[in-house]
Amino acid sequence: MTGPTVALALVDLRHLAALARADALTVAACGAALGWRHDPFGGALAARTVTRLQVGGEACERLLPAPRLLAAALEFAQARGLALSLATPLLSDQGMAELRGLLDRLPAGTEAIANDWGTLRLLARAFPALVPVAGRLMCKMVKDPRLPSVAWARLYPHGIHAAPFAAMLARFGVRRIEMDVPPFAAMADFPEGGLQVGVHAPFGVSAKGRSCRIGSLHQPDAQKFAAGHRCARECLAYTAAMTRPQGATDLPTHLRGTTILHTHSAAMAEALLAAARGTVDRIILSGDWH
Amino acid sequence: MKIVAPVSAAAEVGPLSDAGADEFYCGLVPRSWVERFGTAGANRRIFGNLASEGELGEVIGLAHARGRRVSLVMNAPHYSEAQGEALLELAGQFATLGGDALIVGDIGVLALLAGHGPKLRLHVSSLLSCRNAEAAALYRDLGAHRVVLPRDLTLAEIAAMIAATPGIEFEAFILNDGCVFEEGQCHTIHLPSRLGGPICIDDYAVEHARLDGTALSDAEAAALAANDASYQQWLWYRFSCGFSVTDQGYPFGPCGLCAMPALAASGLTAVKIAGREGATARKAKSVEMVWRVRERMAADHAAVADFAQSLRGRPDLCSSGFMCYYRDALAAH
Repeated sequence: MTGPTVALALVDLRHLAALARADALTVAACGAALGWRHDPFGGALAARTVTRLQVGGEACERLLPAPRLLAAALEFAQARGLALSLATPLLSDQGMAELRGLLDRLPAGTEAIANDWGTLRLLARAFPALVPVAGRLMCKMVKDPRLPSVAWARLYPHGIHAAPFAAMLARFGVRRIEMDVPPFAAMADFPEGGLQVGVHAPFGVSAKGRSCRIGSLHQPDAQKFAAGHRCARECLAYTAAMTRPQGATDLPTHLRGTTILHTHSAAMAEALLAAARGTVDRIILSGDWH
Repeated sequence: MKIVAPVSAAAEVGPLSDAGADEFYCGLVPRSWVERFGTAGANRRIFGNLASEGELGEVIGLAHARGRRVSLVMNAPHYSEAQGEALLELAGQFATLGGDALIVGDIGVLALLAGHGPKLRLHVSSLLSCRNAEAAALYRDLGAHRVVLPRDLTLAEIAAMIAATPGIEFEAFILNDGCVFEEGQCHTIHLPSRLGGPICIDDYAVEHARLDGTALSDAEAAALAANDASYQQWLWYRFSCGFSVTDQGYPFGPCGLCAMPALAASGLTAVKIAGREGATARKAKSVEMVWRVRERMAADHAAVADFAQSLRGRPDLCSSGFMCYYRDALAAH
């Protein structure tokens, strides 16, 4: 099968040790190494080889990789012949300062995935040798896991196809975007044209906060859920299933750290595979953030 | 600092001006929008809009007669290209009516208006999640005149961003809006209550699990349950303490009154009262509270926090910190 390349996204870079024990980095082998309890695309991509490692994530600036772990990821990627991308979240100025330290360590030509317009400006201004990518939280669309029909999804049509949005991306030299699969996805949801498109699977981001429910677990009451509260990165140890009484037709939903995630339906996965025969050139599989 | 208040009817301009509002913001879904796009989603609040272009003109006239500015929201989370063109037309109509500023939530539309729109002030909506000085500088470079900051910032972060970004104004939330997730990164819809309402207060049960597949210990389960109980309590505060008010009609809920001296000292231009969909009395009492604190600041800067906390007569609710937009103000107090 030709078609899209496969990237593996890792938030917790301690998982590199498990991946290092895999002989070949097929999707199936990565899933086994990482202990997946799901089977993306019903196994359709199981034999495909992962060609890119995407480290970091969009959930929280506290999950920016430590410099030593980023160095380990770069070393691992080089040893296994993988390209590497650094994914970054919405950032405070403090987070932006930490990010600069990480960007300094990336070789020229490395992708830096921004989910903050300030990050795109920083990349254009101070790191022109890196390749800027617009992350899935910048390519906004309705992704409510509770929508009862496609009509609700069309209440606010997305603007990923819009010329003014494309002009903004071009202003910062962005040629690649990432996106989620919207509920009730159709081919028209995936951009056609000059942009390269990567799509995350099999989980989408419905909402992200700054305050963190699980991250407040070990905080005193006075600090719980406050802006910029401390945490012990409890999101790397726990997840939570979310269910509601009238949710019979909801997409499976769970809370991971700051983020409400939903699992793609079979129809959404099929829509993505169909798009991957045309406009989508990369599928980004969630390695450990689900 | 200016007090920015929501209006959803021309009849609100007088009472809110009298209560102390300096600027107004409002929304409109033109009839042509519904006919053309088959949706009322011209902005983020479907039920808090003016009735017609005529009423928008009336709001502008009444506000200007009192020396107040009027902003029009274009703050849906995202727009299609055709909708962006329609917003350009709406901006032209708003300018013709004498309007002052547009509050824009989509960066493509912001750039479109800056490049091809009428000569109006451009305000960056909190939907654009300006959390750092790089982003603020970008919006300034695009031609924006003001950034409305997202909710979950600390006072120190706000002060640093303002100091680092000359040439653009900043506005921060001061009362009433209780989003749990970041507005600019929430991709859900406020469904009708029969379908669950906003996702952050939908009737979800959560079941925690360890990612390593091992069972939760009794101690972990107890700690998680206690944290969840605190979260439910915080949600109650975040949503206006059960959508309640004092005997005088002052609303409980998200509040930054204690932080006003620090916000003013940092150079903030304006404070925003959220809630276009609220009742007129709630808006007026909200404006009145903010105005009273601002007056107190002028008279006695040192005792503002005590005064602010005395307004509702419930120091126990204030001291929890769960009502605070800027909890670092409470810690400093």
